[in-house]
Amino acid sequence: MAEEIDQTLPLPDEYPEPCEDVVNGDEEEENNKDQSVKCSPNLLQMLKAAESRRTPQSWDRDREEASGTEETEAQKTDMHERAAVQSYCSQCESRSASMKKVYSLVNITKAKDQEAVQSICIKQIQFNDQKHEFNKRPANTGRRSLSRSISQSSTDSYSSACSESSEDESSPRDKLQATSKGLSDFCIKNIQQTEFGRREITIAEQEMPALMILRKRAGGEKPLAGAKVMGCTHITPQTAVLMETLSRLGAQCRWAACNIFSTQNAVAAALAEGGISVFAWKGESEDDFWWCIDRCVGAESWQPNMILDDGGDLTHWIQKKYPSIFKKLKGIVEESVTGIYRLYQLSKAGRLCVPAMNVNDSVTKQKFDNLYCCKESVLDGLKRTTDVMFGGKQVVVCGYGEVGKGCCAALKALGAVVNVTEADPICALQACMDGFRVIKLGEVVRQVDMVITCTGNKNVVGREHMDRMKNGCIVCNMGHSNTEIDLVSLRTAELRWERVRPQVDHVIWPDGRRIVLLAEGRLLNLSCSTVPSFVLSITATTQALALIELYSAPEGRYKQDVYLLPKKMDEYVASLHLPTFDAHLTELTDEQGKYLGISKHGPYKPNYYRY
Amino acid sequence: MSDPAVEVKLEVKLEVKQASKEVKESENVAEKYSAMTVSKNSEMNIGDLSSAFSAVPTHKPVKKQIQFVEDKQEFSRFPTKAGRRSLSRSISQSSTDSYGSAASYTDSSDDETSPRDKTQVNSKGSSDFCVKNIKQAEFGRREIEIAEQDMTALISLRKRAQSEKPLAGAKIVGCTHITAQTAVLIETLVALGAQCRWTACNIYSTQNEVAAALSETGVAVFAWKGESENDFWWCIDRCVNNEGWQPNMILDDGGDLTHWMYKKYPNVFKKIRGIVEESVTGVHRLYQLSKAGKLCVPAMNVNDSVTKQKFDNLYCCRESILDGLKRTTDVMFGGKQVVICGYGEVGKGCCAALKALGSVVSITEIDPICALQACMDGFRVVKLNEVIRQVDVIITCTGNKNVVTRDQLDRMKNGSIVCNMGHSNTEIDVASLRTPELTWERVRSQVDHVIWPDGKRVILLAEGRLLNLSCSTVPTFVLSITATTQALALIELYNAPDGRYKQDVYLLPKKMDEYVASLHLTTFDAHLTELSDDQAKYLGLNKNGPFKPNYYRY
Repeated sequence: MAEEIDQTLPLPDEYPEPCEDVVNGDEEEENNKDQSVKCSPNLLQMLKAAESRRTPQSWDRDREEASGTEETEAQKTDMHERAAVQSYCSQCESRSASMKKVYSLVNITKAKDQEAVQSICIKQIQFNDQKHEFNKRPANTGRRSLSRSISQSSTDSYSSACSESSEDESSPRDKLQATSKGLSDFCIKNIQQTEFGRREITIAEQEMPALMILRKRAGGEKPLAGAKVMGCTHITPQTAVLMETLSRLGAQCRWAACNIFSTQNAVAAALAEGGISVFAWKGESEDDFWWCIDRCVGAESWQPNMILDDGGDLTHWIQKKYPSIFKKLKGIVEESVTGIYRLYQLSKAGRLCVPAMNVNDSVTKQKFDNLYCCKESVLDGLKRTTDVMFGGKQVVVCGYGEVGKGCCAALKALGAVVNVTEADPICALQACMDGFRVIKLGEVVRQVDMVITCTGNKNVVGREHMDRMKNGCIVCNMGHSNTEIDLVSLRTAELRWERVRPQVDHVIWPDGRRIVLLAEGRLLNLSCSTVPSFVLSITATTQALALIELYSAPEGRYKQDVYLLPKKMDEYVASLHLPTFDAHLTELTDEQGKYLGISKHGPYKPNYYRY
Repeated sequence: MSDPAVEVKLEVKLEVKQASKEVKESENVAEKYSAMTVSKNSEMNIGDLSSAFSAVPTHKPVKKQIQFVEDKQEFSRFPTKAGRRSLSRSISQSSTDSYGSAASYTDSSDDETSPRDKTQVNSKGSSDFCVKNIKQAEFGRREIEIAEQDMTALISLRKRAQSEKPLAGAKIVGCTHITAQTAVLIETLVALGAQCRWTACNIYSTQNEVAAALSETGVAVFAWKGESENDFWWCIDRCVNNEGWQPNMILDDGGDLTHWMYKKYPNVFKKIRGIVEESVTGVHRLYQLSKAGKLCVPAMNVNDSVTKQKFDNLYCCRESILDGLKRTTDVMFGGKQVVICGYGEVGKGCCAALKALGSVVSITEIDPICALQACMDGFRVVKLNEVIRQVDVIITCTGNKNVVTRDQLDRMKNGSIVCNMGHSNTEIDVASLRTPELTWERVRSQVDHVIWPDGKRVILLAEGRLLNLSCSTVPTFVLSITATTQALALIELYNAPDGRYKQDVYLLPKKMDEYVASLHLTTFDAHLTELSDDQAKYLGLNKNGPFKPNYYRY
């Protein structure tokens, strides 16, 4: 603790104001003058990572967006916000070679030491540079990657050892490496790390039973035989399991990273050794990034016929640079919100000449990303940062959507007294029926011990509320970007900020009263807790099935459009995850199936079913 | 469970409860059930209830079997009615009154003449109605006032819209259950400016005194308890066919009224401004009509609104499962092994309630997505066969048939309870239990012990019919949501500018759904947060809703 207190000293005064910067596009541009090229990798990463975690609350709106409605301000802010979050991470990373950093970034906990705190300082200093970077590449800013993908890096930061701490500073592009079998069609940091990477992959396999089952079930028939899959995703043990599953199912794979920082070198090495052409390493430059993608596509005598994309970069690149290849594709599988948005735009413009599959909006994935995931991470995040006890605490949860429902259930289970604020009467009525009091924040703010926002809105907790909070009240955000808590209003002269731990600030009023602000109002589960492999497994399985579906669909089933995964596939993904729980599904008899008018093997529900 | 002391106690209870009624009366109640649930086994009720009074338990099985045959014939005599399913919830209204309201006191009059033959006049001199006995008006008024207490949404709707009279000029012909709750709805419509003529959608569910109270205030009601099939259509016809009065709106429950008007009065039907239909069956009929291109007026499907669905299924079943089981068996839930078949909305509700009382809950599911939800919510997903020997309670809510089979019932342990919260009475294979080697013993109303040759007993509730329909009540609050939705749908259809609604079946606009919810929030003293202009702009929403896109799952 003492250590931490020391570290807090330099902070308060020139505390950065990410919120303002981020929200305000104009301000960013003003800062453009002294941007430095070498920062660019950070930028890219920051963008990527920024996107990588979608806020649960914003799913719906994103879907709206995807389906072609106008982007709301909220969405725009969201992207910026994520950029900011990532910048934070990327800064840290660039400064410290050690992987520990990653840990501190993605997953800052109080356990993190000096480095973490330094990185915070660094962030402040660099913040401006990053901003310009950001503006420089508008194309990228618009791009968001899959919500969960970011979490992969958070996962790996925990599990993986220091494979990156090698002193070798030469670019992988200049090195010639070969696998034990003499292949050299890859480009990674160090092929020697293979063994370590293999172990990582083996561990991940334990937690991704669905893909393993898929291998076994389909292993005999090779449904992807002849498929040449080009992938562009995070390269982590979890995606490695996916890739190797695809190979096992008969596909040939070439892979690039969708994020310049998220690659785990050891895993890339293990994949390369296993015969998959991987072009990725941690800390690529922007130039490297596109070079990798290009190398991935541009192999002689190998033309991809499927794309697995996360963020839409690869799709974009192929469409621009290799239109002839693009036309011959059998299908695109895209999992990020941004990528899907791009696809819909392409489709609207009539330039999408291959079928694409939107795996982001599947029921299983959505429910996991929001309800179940947040239910667990709200407790985790609060405990890690504040060690608070929940029993008997007065908690206000702002918003009773999927995220709010998850948070309320978790807190209630621990004995907290939960109140809800809502704007939508239907959700409010649900809250009432579930036994939560529906109040306005202003009415109870004097008594509460914790305020958790998950509305997707902005300025839900304002200065006028925080002025009246009692000493020690915890304020955090599980919702949409960092706009929900009005941080700007706290950056005034009379309030003192004190960083007591990574991600934990005390804001001190002149009368000595403190409120505890977590993660500076950014997403708590993004900043202060992890995402379980199980969630990633659901995404990966969905991707694999989407590839199989697109590849083996009879001609004409899919036209040149963006499709949702068929409900049957969704159900199959869920069924593959049931063995984890030792769950035994009941089968319909023929007679029962006939009575219900559904097939014995599904789909079991109409499309409008709410689950 | 088969403790004789308990049985005796029950009988005493029953006797006390119904002491003032005549046996014939109680048969009425039973008949009502049987008619409404349209279950082939419903006649069991009659034998059972009357035998409860006879207090000679040993005679029950015999008596039952004798009546069984007769009732069968009765039943098949009215094929059209048998085929008609009325909405699950509407039915429950009558289950409410059978338990809670004193309706039956007034019904026990000895007057056997058909209301059709009587000429009655209300205090204002009008005789444009046909009810059992207009003199019961005062009592019915009291019933309505009690219902008003729990239907604050409609009352506040009256207040909010009274000055504008949004239904001025509307001539509404309605066909619903006639209970205190619908009376509140009807009087709300009148308060909003509508003229109403009403008939019953079920021959047994009418509360006579409520009908009288409505007639007294000038609503033309044609309904009494225990109509014949012929009476039923006569009432509908009288309702529609009135000189100098042509309906321009229809409020229907089951689609009978719509059907009648469509067939008999096509000219009137064409001029209707809108139909509001609340039952599953009625909606199904409308969609068929629409598909055939024969629907020439806009119709509103209020059955599928979010609020109604959630209340009918999740919340309502969450409460009634415990109520139904307690009333019938007095079982304790803590630590009991419970299997719930199906994890849809109903299953989710049942699981939540039972888990809260400390039961060990397992699930059976066919849909992997729902199964995964069950896993994540902390329930074991099993096949029924794997656990059948250990379970204490089986609750079915799959919507499927033969979910619990004879084979499985054979392997259940002594004293285990089997009941159904799901769709009609098909889920438990009751037919397979009607074999000579099994003895049926009716121990209470709605509770049968099925006794195997080795003495093992399985407790079957409500003969496999819906438990919450047969053995528990439905809270007025739930009915209030339906009624409010209906009222708003009528207002919407009546006031919509020409062209907004074509000749098709529509769902209630989400904004209306939200309004229904908001009218019910006052009950909970819930304070809705309002969006600031700034926030609304940020979200790209209107400050007053709708707040969610249509595909939102809630």
